[in-house]
Amino acid sequence: MNATSTPAPAVTPASPRLFGLASSMLFDAPFKSLGTLVGVTISVFLMAQQYSLLNGILGRVTSFVNSSGVDIWIVSPATESTDATDTVPVSRIGAAAGTRGVAWAAPVVQGIGTVTRPDGVRENVKVLGVEAPRYAGLPRSLAPGTTPDSLRGSGRLLLNWNDRKTFASAEPGDRIEIDGQASVVAGFFQGMDPHSPFYYVYTNIDDARSLTRFPQDRATYIAIGLEAGASAREVQARLAARIPDVLVKTRDELRDMEERYFLVRTPVGVLFGMGTLVAAIIGAAIVAVTLYSTAIDRARDYGTLKAIGARQRDILQLLLIQAWIFCGAGYVLGMCGFLLVRFHFPELSMVVPPKLVFGVAAAALASCTVASLAAVLRVIRLDPAIVFRA
Amino acid sequence: MTPDTALPVAIEARGVGKVFGEGELASRVLHPTDLQVRRGEVLVIMGPSGSGKTTLLSILGLVLTPTEGEVLVGGWSAATASADQLAALRRDRMGFVFQQFNLLPSLSALDNAAVPLLLAGVPKAERTARALRALELVDMGDKRAARPRLLSGGQQQRVAIARALVNDAPVLLCDEPTASLDGTTGAAILATLRRLAHDGNRAIVIVTHDERVLSIADRLVRVVDGNVHAGNEQSAVVEAAS
Repeated sequence: MNATSTPAPAVTPASPRLFGLASSMLFDAPFKSLGTLVGVTISVFLMAQQYSLLNGILGRVTSFVNSSGVDIWIVSPATESTDATDTVPVSRIGAAAGTRGVAWAAPVVQGIGTVTRPDGVRENVKVLGVEAPRYAGLPRSLAPGTTPDSLRGSGRLLLNWNDRKTFASAEPGDRIEIDGQASVVAGFFQGMDPHSPFYYVYTNIDDARSLTRFPQDRATYIAIGLEAGASAREVQARLAARIPDVLVKTRDELRDMEERYFLVRTPVGVLFGMGTLVAAIIGAAIVAVTLYSTAIDRARDYGTLKAIGARQRDILQLLLIQAWIFCGAGYVLGMCGFLLVRFHFPELSMVVPPKLVFGVAAAALASCTVASLAAVLRVIRLDPAIVFRA
Repeated sequence: MTPDTALPVAIEARGVGKVFGEGELASRVLHPTDLQVRRGEVLVIMGPSGSGKTTLLSILGLVLTPTEGEVLVGGWSAATASADQLAALRRDRMGFVFQQFNLLPSLSALDNAAVPLLLAGVPKAERTARALRALELVDMGDKRAARPRLLSGGQQQRVAIARALVNDAPVLLCDEPTASLDGTTGAAILATLRRLAHDGNRAIVIVTHDERVLSIADRLVRVVDGNVHAGNEQSAVVEAAS
């Protein structure tokens, strides 16, 4: 470069702050902007709704594991989920109980029976047997008036409070027949709403063995409780080393296994995943089409900005800010709408974990950013000389 | 009217020419041309449609790269400048006035005038003060809050001129500045431009079809079929540089 009389032009090192300009440009086409905002809002709403419904279903799928208060589960190595498992020898309970960090170890048996509803319909029931006096494996939440000791004595069962209506608004003392054997409703458990074709009932362990012809020397699970302060990971490793012929899973691991099994073995995960993806794509498409069409409409404005000194990165900044404004506003509106629906329809079991809040925000941000690329490319390639054409 | 050679050269074209397309489709729209514009001078470029005058203005304004030759702004060659340096030259050392005004419709007159300063990263308080001064220079200070759609064509062109002046650029490039204006308004804009050139010591280049503009011209060049003919209206054809 020649520098014959004046110094080289100073290139502004940092990007100017163009938020005000970018946001004001959105008001030039208020209806287009409104349409984009509505599109992003609907997209965020659908993503949150689909994802939360899936979470709700997964929460129900894993509610047996989550609601029990058991820290570690010992299961057969041939286990894919609590619905696809085998048995372990009860003789391993002693070894488990003697492991450092273990406060208690207790057997839980699980078998399938056939229950006869009051209307005569026969359906499958999952019978879970828990052992006195600890009743490990029993849900922590019991209906008022029900205690674990309600299962003391034979021929008693706890029914899911959610199934009460199916059993003619059953009350304690009512009789329910499983595989021809009558049991008395001793109370109800709550907080567990399995996504399963089975009814769930809890009995004492001997009744469960009797009802489902379960071998005396086997159990489906060995439930482990940890001593205060003990690390689940460390105790798990000790148990695995001490009892090598079983699978030792922390509560979180068994829950994850349960979720994976459900997602792989049913189309629910794919359906909701597709729903979430389609919602994101719809949002991105709306933003892309609007931003691109606005970029074409406003080619002269962008050309003017380039002619009077805007750099490519300034133009990029303008378009990204506009996409992110749509993203931010659409996210807030979409999430508010979603939370409103969730509040009014609690029966839909829409669960909102933190990863949903951040995940949907990240997905909206990514889709809006990707959507702005077409407009960015269009404007970046724009020849500023167009401003000299009438 | 001849250029006062005592005045410093603000912008210079050395052998600039332009060919669009390649091979058999190549079309020369501007033959190699030398041109100097000095501070305090109003240079008017006239010619029929399609003659190459807008191409010449685009090259002088650094928005179009010449096929050959170079443009010097304040003596500094833009031939090998980066895209960012070209943008900085346009932003800081040139002002543009367009036929259609090209104001951003969502911004007030004040904010429109301040856009080059915004792009330069000038702080808001300073931006506002300088944009207001520029608006007052074109008698638009009292309309600073108005959006373009509420302004007449002449008023919009004044705001566009304020935008071109706000960086105190030594070069103003005007493309048909009076074409969209009625006679009275056009005359007022031309008076403003002449004042800015002579009192503000700026080089002003005006591309136009409008014969009225000749009233403020210090020098005239005509462009015909891509050839630039320098001098006043009666001048002989000057050989274009080869």
